Amino acid sequence: MSRAAELLRGPGHLLSAAVRAHELSVTDVVHAAAERIAATDGRVNAFTQLTLQRAFGEAAALDARLAVGDTTAAALPLLGVPYAVKNLFDIEGVTTVAGSKIERGRPAAQRDAVLVQRLRAAGAVLLGALNMDEYAYGFTTENTHDGACHNPHDLARVAGGSSGGSAAAVAAGQVAMTLGSDTNGSIRVPSSLCGVFGLKPTFGRLPRRGSFPFVANLDHLGPFARSARDLALAYDAMQGADAADPACVARPFEPTVARLGEVHGLRVGVLGGWFHDMALPEARAAVNAVAAALGATRTIEWPGVERARAAAFLITQAESSALHLANLKIRPDDFEPLSRDRFLAGALLPAVWVSQAQRVRRWFARQVAAGFADVDLLIAPATPCAAPPIGTGWLDIGGLRLPARPSLGLLAQPVSCIGLPVCTVPVWGAHPALPIGVQLIAAPWREDRVLAAAAALEAGGIVRAPVAALD
Amino acid sequence: MPTPAQLEAQVDATAALIGLPLAAAHRPGVLHYFAIAAAMAELVLAQPLTPDDEPAALFVPVEPPRS
Repeated sequence: MSRAAELLRGPGHLLSAAVRAHELSVTDVVHAAAERIAATDGRVNAFTQLTLQRAFGEAAALDARLAVGDTTAAALPLLGVPYAVKNLFDIEGVTTVAGSKIERGRPAAQRDAVLVQRLRAAGAVLLGALNMDEYAYGFTTENTHDGACHNPHDLARVAGGSSGGSAAAVAAGQVAMTLGSDTNGSIRVPSSLCGVFGLKPTFGRLPRRGSFPFVANLDHLGPFARSARDLALAYDAMQGADAADPACVARPFEPTVARLGEVHGLRVGVLGGWFHDMALPEARAAVNAVAAALGATRTIEWPGVERARAAAFLITQAESSALHLANLKIRPDDFEPLSRDRFLAGALLPAVWVSQAQRVRRWFARQVAAGFADVDLLIAPATPCAAPPIGTGWLDIGGLRLPARPSLGLLAQPVSCIGLPVCTVPVWGAHPALPIGVQLIAAPWREDRVLAAAAALEAGGIVRAPVAALD
Repeated sequence: MPTPAQLEAQVDATAALIGLPLAAAHRPGVLHYFAIAAAMAELVLAQPLTPDDEPAALFVPVEPPRS
């Protein structure tokens, strides 16, 4: 195995360090990533489009700068880090399909999404676009048009969704980092099922310009990686307001990398009630391991969690159906069969259901905000269970028989409903063979706290994201 | 909770009103998901609210481009 291939199995920041130390070139890194993708993606199906020509071009440009002693290039925070993006992000010269058949006829994007521009400026190298649930409506990435994305740790199981390709590509060691979106859990669910780190920032933190929307009132974008430091490096590189995104709040730059691992004095609690009752034993065991490591001393119950989840459900159905109404009328059979009927139903909701859902959302946010007066970090399972087999129709959770696909997000949905920052961390050993994720949740704009705690857990060996063997 | 017949009537009436054709093959799925949404709406409507509980979606004024 080449040095680059060996380093590709570790975190991105070590790859960057090796490039800075002239142990290898960025071009070597791209070769290693391309070879790993070629060797594994026939089984994983994480990628829907490769951008190798672009990747080698970006690598050559960085190598040329390094060769002449360009210290600015050498200092780039993501120097030579290979990454890929969910195929709802605009990539210049590539049609943004958002997991659909319908969008394939659209012209190619004329420029990169804002976050892709920012990662490129930080020295990262783009390898391609990734599989997802159509229009981000799903939690399993069983995409009928592109084929199911397979969990690298057990190919017979789902990768989670809707950013399934984003989590699977990182777990498979194809790239060090990816971007995805999270409306109701679409970063946290696949992070949990594939055993990688994922960051869903505060709603309104990162600009969404140049990404295909799902539910404008709930959409977040964020990174996946195999270490908390990589998440923080990517997140810091992507911060910054964008007036073109009406939801993006003009916050100052609030760096997180320097505070990784600083958890002394953090007041930590475990979310009970809904988050305990709707979790299977492996999810509870994972929470217990993280809670013990962080010294969580109490259990906290949020009021009205099930109502908040219901509010997010209704807002999602109504807004996403309105977005796709024209195509639902004229070409419903071109939609993903697994989500088409949900879209159709969503177009028919009485307005008062949705208006009241937006008021419940505000009510819930106020209740939770008051609770953060005496706690800094909350712990909850990211999914009710570890990855189910592809094709699973039903799950038994909390004494109920529930439809599997929407229910994988039932512990993530109440949190994104009110836009709190969450880092999902991967726990091994809670399930006999599979990873499962735990949500680290903080008050709005405190991404520093969730990343600091994730780094502390990683340093303590409580959480880790090994590359799947796939050999 | 509305009855299945009430839900079915709402689905058919609204689909006709907004000009959304429902194919026979899609209709059972639509009714299934509409019933789930109705159950979610029951939960939402059960929450007591005050006038201070404004909708979470608020308009952001759009400034003209700066020359």
